[in-house]
Amino acid sequence: MKKVQILSLIMAILLVGGCAGKKESIKIGFIGPLTGDAANYGKLMTQAIRIAVDEFNANGGIEGHPIEFIAEDDEGKVEKANIAIEKLIKVNRIFGFVGAVFSSSSLAIAPRAQQNKVIMITPSSTHKDLTSKGDFIFRNVLSDQLQAQVFAMYVYKVMGIRRVAVLYLKNDYSQGLAEDFKARFEKLGGVITAMESGQQGDKDFKAQLTKIKGTGPEALYMPDYVAEMAQILEQAHQLGLKAKILSADGYSNPQIFDLAGDLADGVIFSNSAEEEAIKNPVRQEFEKKYQEKWGVKPDSFSLNSYDAAVILIKAIEKVYNESSPADREKLNLNRDRIREVVAQTSGYNGVSGVITFLPNGDAMKNVGIFMAKDKKYTQLGVYQIENDKLVEVK
Amino acid sequence: MSLTDFFQHLINGFSTGCIYALIALGYTMVYGILKFINFAHGEILMMGTYGGFYVYYFLISKNSSPSYMLFSFFIAMVVGAFISAFLGVFIERIAYRPLRRAPRLSPLLTAIGVSIILMNVASLLFGTQPRRFNYPFDNNPFSILGVNITPHQMLIFFVSLCLMFFLKMFVDKTRSGKAMRATSENMDAASLMGINVDFIISLTFAIGSALAAIAGILTALEYKLYPTMGTMAGIKAFIAAVIGGIGNIGGAMLGGILLGVLETLGPVILGIPQGLKDTIAFLLLIVVLLFKPSGILGKKEKTKV
Amino acid sequence: MIDLIFLLLIYICIYSLLSMGLNMITGYTGLLSLCQAAFFGIGAYATAILTVYAGWGFWTALIMSCLITSAFGFLIGLPVLRLKGDYLAIATLGFGEIVRNVILNWDSFTRGSKGINGIPFPVIFGIEIKSSNLYLFFAFVFIFVVIFYFILNRIVHSRFGRALEAIREDEIAASSMGINVTKYKLISFCIGAFLGGVAGSLWAVFFTSIAPDTFNLMLSIQILCMIVLGGLGNNLAAIVGAFIVVTAAELPKLLGFSSIIPPELNQILFGLILVLAMLYRTQGIMGKKRFIAEGNPNKERAVER
Repeated sequence: MKKVQILSLIMAILLVGGCAGKKESIKIGFIGPLTGDAANYGKLMTQAIRIAVDEFNANGGIEGHPIEFIAEDDEGKVEKANIAIEKLIKVNRIFGFVGAVFSSSSLAIAPRAQQNKVIMITPSSTHKDLTSKGDFIFRNVLSDQLQAQVFAMYVYKVMGIRRVAVLYLKNDYSQGLAEDFKARFEKLGGVITAMESGQQGDKDFKAQLTKIKGTGPEALYMPDYVAEMAQILEQAHQLGLKAKILSADGYSNPQIFDLAGDLADGVIFSNSAEEEAIKNPVRQEFEKKYQEKWGVKPDSFSLNSYDAAVILIKAIEKVYNESSPADREKLNLNRDRIREVVAQTSGYNGVSGVITFLPNGDAMKNVGIFMAKDKKYTQLGVYQIENDKLVEVK
Repeated sequence: MSLTDFFQHLINGFSTGCIYALIALGYTMVYGILKFINFAHGEILMMGTYGGFYVYYFLISKNSSPSYMLFSFFIAMVVGAFISAFLGVFIERIAYRPLRRAPRLSPLLTAIGVSIILMNVASLLFGTQPRRFNYPFDNNPFSILGVNITPHQMLIFFVSLCLMFFLKMFVDKTRSGKAMRATSENMDAASLMGINVDFIISLTFAIGSALAAIAGILTALEYKLYPTMGTMAGIKAFIAAVIGGIGNIGGAMLGGILLGVLETLGPVILGIPQGLKDTIAFLLLIVVLLFKPSGILGKKEKTKV
Repeated sequence: MIDLIFLLLIYICIYSLLSMGLNMITGYTGLLSLCQAAFFGIGAYATAILTVYAGWGFWTALIMSCLITSAFGFLIGLPVLRLKGDYLAIATLGFGEIVRNVILNWDSFTRGSKGINGIPFPVIFGIEIKSSNLYLFFAFVFIFVVIFYFILNRIVHSRFGRALEAIREDEIAASSMGINVTKYKLISFCIGAFLGGVAGSLWAVFFTSIAPDTFNLMLSIQILCMIVLGGLGNNLAAIVGAFIVVTAAELPKLLGFSSIIPPELNQILFGLILVLAMLYRTQGIMGKKRFIAEGNPNKERAVER
């Protein structure tokens, strides 16, 4: 009898001691498609964020408080995104989140985030109106407009191409890029020989490519996602379409090499620049880490997600350190202050490029021009637009 | 649009149509007998395709000879067909058979439930990223008078024709085939005539599912492999089957090709975005349903009072 | 947590309007319709376009949206409602997909995949009903549900309602009893569409931003699930069904383990619930055991000696 009593006492002490030692976690979230057609994009992004969270937790979190990462599936749909944000804000009490992936979901949940002073950093939604929804809404993705314009100028001036056909998908991202590219390219004096479209999820682009072939372009601009671009590359080959293939940051997803094999080589595309001026090869290190942990290489949106998560966590950490011990205990952190810190991000050397947040919440990045070859991407140059002219950034 | 372009579009549409026809064969078989739209058909197709995929890549390596690759591909198709067949029979047994006498909405919703389960199980098991099922041969196109055709397209045409032929022979000439036709006419009467209806239905599902897997593998060569590949395949093939005459094997082929050609050429000729091809497909469906619901080659069903 | 619950209650209310509408068409009149999501979408887009681009107020836009949606119901119903059983289902499926496809591609009018955002909130007696105030918005939509519940119940317990049930049980018999079958089917269809329009308008002002993806076949099927799981032919059951489906889909979130388990498991759970419900409780929670919407063709055949 006595032995049992002593044992129970020891257990009780250990239990209480154990509980007392556990600190409440600091929660951040993610909203994006984890099931359905677009599941893969969400998966790649959450994997990147997990690396960020694990890194912080390996160093003891924020003064012993672990970072807890809660990912919610929105299936790519507005109505599910709404439920997800409600749960994350009200039930989990997150400080901020990375998301959403698709502009339609982002637009729907931004007002909620703003209203509840929750930081929202989207790694991929490029809809023009998004960041104007509030000052808690940020975007860590290369602006489509900037990207398309720089690229149009590059193609015209540096590559000397005059006739381009465009094959885009009917979604915000792709259509935006296509339209901005067309506008700038035509303004320079170039000719868009065809403006064909398909739908996200389509597998067959032969009709569009046949039409395009008939217009005799020098190049084909396909600012799409890799699944569709792999199809386009193969079917262009099947139809005997001989044109230089051009793309946008979607092409930075290394899956294109698996899906299109040799046909993926030689494609030139725009992406957020790899700033070589800063001697820290953070991007390559991260890619290696990602590959080791998850077995696949990250795409540009995953890189954006990682940076977004790190910026967010660091901001929380900074405000935590500024807070009084009582506030720290209860995790009573000033959300407006967190927002301020995030908004002040300037010249941050992230894996997705050098990031500076503009007053409206958009990220200011330089545009890099890359070429794909032998399962690798090589940067050909870094560019910006100054005074409406293409400028190479050295 | 030049004449060359027109013929290229025609060939494109025709080969898409053959894919639809291949998948529609399985659909039409099951509907013909059970009068039941198997919503999970697309997912059974997908599972068998994944099976074939893993078998193929297990067998070959970078250094395999071309003939070995073809041989492995053939084995992969056979294994994939078996996997789908087993899956189809299994699903019929536990999810559809108990509902054979239930109101028609029940098996419909069950099929949908099965479809959701299979799609997500595949996503969990195989991952969400699209996979490339590489051609077991060099798929370089031939150019005839400026129009490009690939060996893959010719293979699909050839296979769908063969399968249609064999299926027709089976249904028309063999005893099991006759039993199938009888069950399709009147299940209870067939049962009274000594036909093991349960077995015939299982057989139908097995064959239909096996066909689906073959179709899936051939399709995946060009369209890639991913957990949601069954959905659109299912719907388009279904339209093809209905247009051609549901329950009619020749109809599946005809419907498929007609759908493929009209869907491809339609937007081109009308000058509308290619994305509207789905609208054309469904309009075609509605038109056929309004004027000949039993489909182009289907028999007119009389309603008895 | 309370907020999450109220959010889900708002969803349930809007879906209830959809399911009660479909119940009219499928539950009472026995017509299997797979385009309820399309009516939903037409209502939502009509409201969105009228309020955002034409500057209309919510109430006038609501009425107009419902009229537009009913008009579509009439236009599609006229040719399609004379089809029987599965063929009708397929035709409505086709219509639903056409609507979605057109919305997606008609950029200049609907802004395609970008969707329409910035939809203003409704105003009652000077008070803005904002979606940020979940309690207020819930009260708002709940009133709609109550009003239409009573209206529909009155319709159903009238000569009209009985005529619908007669048509459901045996169309030919009903017709020989002097019921103008075509007219009644059409009216019933339009009522279902009208409710879709109401639901769509409410949806548009709640989310303030709509996209074509929401209004797809899967949603039509989910609404069908709602009335079947709740129990066909009963307006209260339609509401219960909406409750079941939404809760089942979001159970993992409510119980707190949605971010711990792989997301596919959420879906598999839903699929399993569907299959098990069909296998073990065909009549739904509140349905009567003997209820048969269209009859099982095999059973019909057996009887018709």
